[in-house]
Amino acid sequence: MGPLSREAWAQRLAAFRASPSAFMTGPKGEDLGRDLLNDLRSEKLSEQTKVSLLVLTLEYPVQLWPDAPAAEVAATSLLDTLVLLPPRPSALRRLLLLAATTALAAGGALGPTSGASCRLLPLLLGLASGSNLEPGFGPTSEQRPLQATACECLRELESCKPGLLGGTLGLLRGLLGQAGPVQPLSLLLALALRNILVVQSRAGAGLQGLLMAGVSPIKGGLWDWTLVEEGDTHIQPQAPSWQAAEEGKHGLAAREPHLEEAREVRAAVAQLLDITYLLTPVAQAQLLWLLGWALRGLQGQPPALFKPQLVRLLGTAQMTLLHAVLALKAAFGEALFTAQDEALLLRRLTLAAQHPALPPPTHLFYLHCLLNFPENCPLGPEGEEAAPLLLRPQMCRGLLPSLLHDPMALLARLHLLCLFCAEEEEEEKDQVQSLQHSLEELLAGLQQRAALEGGPRALAVLCFQASYLVAHCLARQPTVLTPLIHGLAQLYQARPVLAPHFVDLLGQVRPELGEPLRVLLRQEVVSRPGRDEALRWHLQILAKVANGSDQCATLSFLQAAAGHCTGWDLQQALLRVCRALLQAGGGDGLADLLQVLARQLEDPDGRDHARLYYILLAHLARPKLGVALAPSLAVPALTSSLVAENQGFAAALMVQEAPAPMRLSVGSREIKGPLPVLQLQVEVLEPVYSLELRFRVEGQIYAPLEAIHVPCLCPNRPVRPLLLPLQPRRPAPAQLDVHALYTTSTGLTCHAHLPPLSVNFADLFLPFPQPPEGARPGFFEELWDSCLPKGTESRVWCPLGPQGLEPLVSHHLRPFVVVAQPPTSYCIAIRLPPDSRLLMRLEGAQGDGAPVVLRTDDWAVLPLVGNYLRGLSAAV
Amino acid sequence: MAQRAVWLISHQPRTALCGTVRFSRRYPTVEKRARVFNGTSYVSIPEDGPFLKALLFELRLLDDDKGFVEIRDSCSHINKTSIYGLPIGGEELWPVVAFLKNGMIYACVPLVEQILSPRPPLISISGISQGFELLFGIQDFLYSGQKSDTELNTKLSLLPDLLLQACPFGTLLDANLQNSLDNIHFTSVPQPQKQPAWKAGTCKKIGKTMEIIIQLTKEVQSTFFDQHDLSVPWNFNYRFKCACDLEGIMPNVTISLSLPTNGSPLQDVLVHPCVTSLDSAILTSSSTDTMDDSAFSGPYKFPFTPPLESFNLCYYTSQVPVPPILGFYQVKEEETHLRITVNLKLHESVKNNFEFCEAHIPFYNRGPITHLEYKVSFGQLEVFREKGLLIWTIGQKFPKSMEINLSGTVAFGRKSHEKQPFDPVCIRGTAYVKLHFKILDYTLTGCYADQHSVQVFASGKPKISAYRKLISSDYYIWNSKASAPIIYRKFYV
Repeated sequence: MGPLSREAWAQRLAAFRASPSAFMTGPKGEDLGRDLLNDLRSEKLSEQTKVSLLVLTLEYPVQLWPDAPAAEVAATSLLDTLVLLPPRPSALRRLLLLAATTALAAGGALGPTSGASCRLLPLLLGLASGSNLEPGFGPTSEQRPLQATACECLRELESCKPGLLGGTLGLLRGLLGQAGPVQPLSLLLALALRNILVVQSRAGAGLQGLLMAGVSPIKGGLWDWTLVEEGDTHIQPQAPSWQAAEEGKHGLAAREPHLEEAREVRAAVAQLLDITYLLTPVAQAQLLWLLGWALRGLQGQPPALFKPQLVRLLGTAQMTLLHAVLALKAAFGEALFTAQDEALLLRRLTLAAQHPALPPPTHLFYLHCLLNFPENCPLGPEGEEAAPLLLRPQMCRGLLPSLLHDPMALLARLHLLCLFCAEEEEEEKDQVQSLQHSLEELLAGLQQRAALEGGPRALAVLCFQASYLVAHCLARQPTVLTPLIHGLAQLYQARPVLAPHFVDLLGQVRPELGEPLRVLLRQEVVSRPGRDEALRWHLQILAKVANGSDQCATLSFLQAAAGHCTGWDLQQALLRVCRALLQAGGGDGLADLLQVLARQLEDPDGRDHARLYYILLAHLARPKLGVALAPSLAVPALTSSLVAENQGFAAALMVQEAPAPMRLSVGSREIKGPLPVLQLQVEVLEPVYSLELRFRVEGQIYAPLEAIHVPCLCPNRPVRPLLLPLQPRRPAPAQLDVHALYTTSTGLTCHAHLPPLSVNFADLFLPFPQPPEGARPGFFEELWDSCLPKGTESRVWCPLGPQGLEPLVSHHLRPFVVVAQPPTSYCIAIRLPPDSRLLMRLEGAQGDGAPVVLRTDDWAVLPLVGNYLRGLSAAV
Repeated sequence: MAQRAVWLISHQPRTALCGTVRFSRRYPTVEKRARVFNGTSYVSIPEDGPFLKALLFELRLLDDDKGFVEIRDSCSHINKTSIYGLPIGGEELWPVVAFLKNGMIYACVPLVEQILSPRPPLISISGISQGFELLFGIQDFLYSGQKSDTELNTKLSLLPDLLLQACPFGTLLDANLQNSLDNIHFTSVPQPQKQPAWKAGTCKKIGKTMEIIIQLTKEVQSTFFDQHDLSVPWNFNYRFKCACDLEGIMPNVTISLSLPTNGSPLQDVLVHPCVTSLDSAILTSSSTDTMDDSAFSGPYKFPFTPPLESFNLCYYTSQVPVPPILGFYQVKEEETHLRITVNLKLHESVKNNFEFCEAHIPFYNRGPITHLEYKVSFGQLEVFREKGLLIWTIGQKFPKSMEINLSGTVAFGRKSHEKQPFDPVCIRGTAYVKLHFKILDYTLTGCYADQHSVQVFASGKPKISAYRKLISSDYYIWNSKASAPIIYRKFYV
């Protein structure tokens, strides 16, 4: 495909700029980078079009060539284009240098293995030093701009790869002394010097040698990469925060240089500082930041070198220059600024913060600097805004806020005023009082403006922000807070439409302001029933301020309001107040109101809600009510209040599935009463309240089991066994399915499925009533005989352990023995609920077992008995 | 120190988006560094569309400003600088330097060479002031001498090329874009060493007349009340403007300002960055100090190397015993109309020869003027009914009595919101008269810079001319019957 026309390119570039991401994912996106590189060499395109193509590559190289290999190819192509340019003046030469630099640096291709890097760096250095590497590289008229551009390109590459120009320090110093543009060379040298101080502190390179060397870093045609640190993670802040430097982070760990080395560094810094006045103000500031940090990294180097510059710098109100002075102040503190200097700097800042010749954003920045001034001896906590100790109210008379200021200036000045008002020094008491008085007047003025009917929202926002700021700074000053609170209450009276601001303010301020304001607002609202629009706001406020106290007035207000709440939204607002009251614990009046609402509200949703609240109020105890209505943590912050409310209920009122927080086991048997009873041991892992254990028997072989209730169980506290009576419908062992329903200490109701419990055959055994001692043999024989002929007789071999028959019987069957002739003969009678019997004779034990004759009136139990007896010996 | 991106956005209320991105520029090499420095807290620069939307929202410039929006309007969302955090795509882009001026929003995002969370202190970010300076530079370029939209569009179309010169990699080289414009047209004259970087590359042609023009302008700010517990402050700001058309690479000029005997010393001096040195006595003299006789009283020397364009060499203030015109204003609300009284008195020591002098009497937050009855002792009254404004033209001279007055009644029609924007200051009875005047060849203090005080170290002898004038700026007289918006107490005396 041939080159595109100028118009086609203009269209394509416009489409790209409109949304680069959309363009690149479109059909033409993929080819853009390649077409662009090709067309740069086309002879058909005008220089103007090529400029626009190159400007695009300066802004979007990452989109055009997304990875390092692509960036490398692009940079190579750009360099080729540069070489091929005819030797007449051309605007493309400079742009191609910028573009190749950008492609390599932004694409991450810059490095010793990159061919383009190895071509670009010597070319740039050659241009920067004013020597033409390749004869005929541009006309002489272009030399100087190209020299400056090459310096800028090198500076950018050095910023992205610190240490890259380490080897050129000597060369650059030499150039600065002789010829060449002052500003680009100064900035380049300052950056390279600063970076080498960082790199060298790790690599231990000979700084002195580097600063003195006048030779090119290109050794045998190759660039010297030894000082470059590998990987992006090592790039250094050009001006790290002073706190970080204090802590020795960012590699600027102070190091002690050799004597000669230090002298050389100082000479280089002095050389740069001496000609700063030739630089543009912004470049001067950059130089000061860089040199400040260069010297900061060297221990024992007094920063006095900067002193001669300070008077000149402080004379201007140029933002970058004063900012750089502040950075030096922060970096060197007392070593560079005495207390008097500090006072002077504060004065200059104070002056600049209000000077009519400076634009408002500059004023605001200087005000910020005043409140965050890097003092020599700071008193307050770090990071908190404060008025510097040396800044007295007299100095700031022009910085007091007034209603004429725009919102940001007013707030900044107000903050300063608040800080002065908060001072508690005895000798300045009158002054503070006077300041407080002005503060009061200002707040009153703000409230008046916010109260204007139809005024813009910004005025209201400003009033509430000012109130918040004052409440924040002067929380312990009732002389300020009391009028503020009353003013706010009056503001609400005048303009209930500001209710959302009040709700927001109440949610943000500390109780010193919040509590009295709540009381006033509640009184204000309940004493003035409104309709329609005002009612909506009143209800919104009440939902925030209603609480347990003084419910009577609130309830009567709501009762009166209910009649006017015709729309769905008003009804919901009303119900939200009810909800707030409910959360505070409710009360008798509330129950009545909810019942009325549940009947009377027009909207079915409203009625349902009211009914739900009523049910909650009637059925839940106060703490549980609180939990049920509290906002749920699971709710994402941005859902609507309705969803939030429902989700809150869902979490609090629905039963949650949970892993079992307890272990349940069957304990030892104790026989009492007419039914078999299981003794359950319970052990909990966390506090559990209102526990209900529900049991279910597989196959209905027992009658339904009653649930067991336990009010409270705590871990590591002894628990009495729980008794579970069984009512078998036939005598058989069973598995009990167990569920636990309980409340956690956070108020949630949970449900857990516990592992099943086994009811063994023996757990069902009950003794017969004991006849008198002498009648026992007869009693047993009667039972024995009565089993037949309906029942059955069987013989079973009962294996015995080494101890014989006696311990086995006494351990397992003692309650059921009717007649015994220890240790050889036992007659045992067992009642099996509901109405079966099991009789056994154990006699004539032999070495490893005993024959058992048994009779029962229930055929079905025979296999169970057999299993039981066979298992006994193992269980002894 | 570098910027990650720059935008110019024109604010267009009552359009679909409420604004258009007129210019934007991104710096990918800086962006790459931002990604490394900011680490996990890195937020990428958004495309123009989302940025525009987020910025207009934060600056409260969208039309739908009616409802309360918590993330913007909450009382704890306090912004006291022109530096914002913009919520974009669930993340926050910070710091965004932005301000609105003449319907244009200037914005940039400086590189922060640290982790962004927690936010580092603004003072530790060098790119903040650099960003401001870049934006101010663009603003100066766009609006210096610009009169029409066509001119603005032409200048906007020059911006991409200019920024390629002044800020090729995101690090600002010169905030004066006019210099860059001159630099674009290369010169074939080989430039010598020690060429200041803030001077445009071109050299003046030999043989042209050299000239130095010195202009001393005094701006009088004043605020009058007539309430017993309020003092009457006034303020003089002097602007000392210079235009030097000199031959040579580094001409040095020294201008001295002298005071008459017993003249008030210069205070709060701010100088242009081209001033090469400054006496520390000049630096420390401040209007917040109590005066004593030992104060430095000049001459005040300002050595400098002039840039090519005319520039403000310095600003200072000076304490003068009297305001040039004393005023009194009273507005009384009566049943259907306002009754107004204005008295003005020229101080006897002031030269009674104005280039112009007029008093503007605006009425805010009311409807158009429907009825006016008035009496003036001197001059003419012009009525702008729709604007709700009266202009009292006093002319070139006060009458012999030096005192003039105006009284009358004004009635207003129904207020319409579209035609008359809401004024947040002049509510209830708060109202003012604003004076506009200019007196040529006069300053109150008598401070002067004559031709003989100018020393020039350059080849050739330039023609030197000096002018002075007194002009009003923010000269307000507030209604004495209502509370004034400024609280100005004597607590600091």
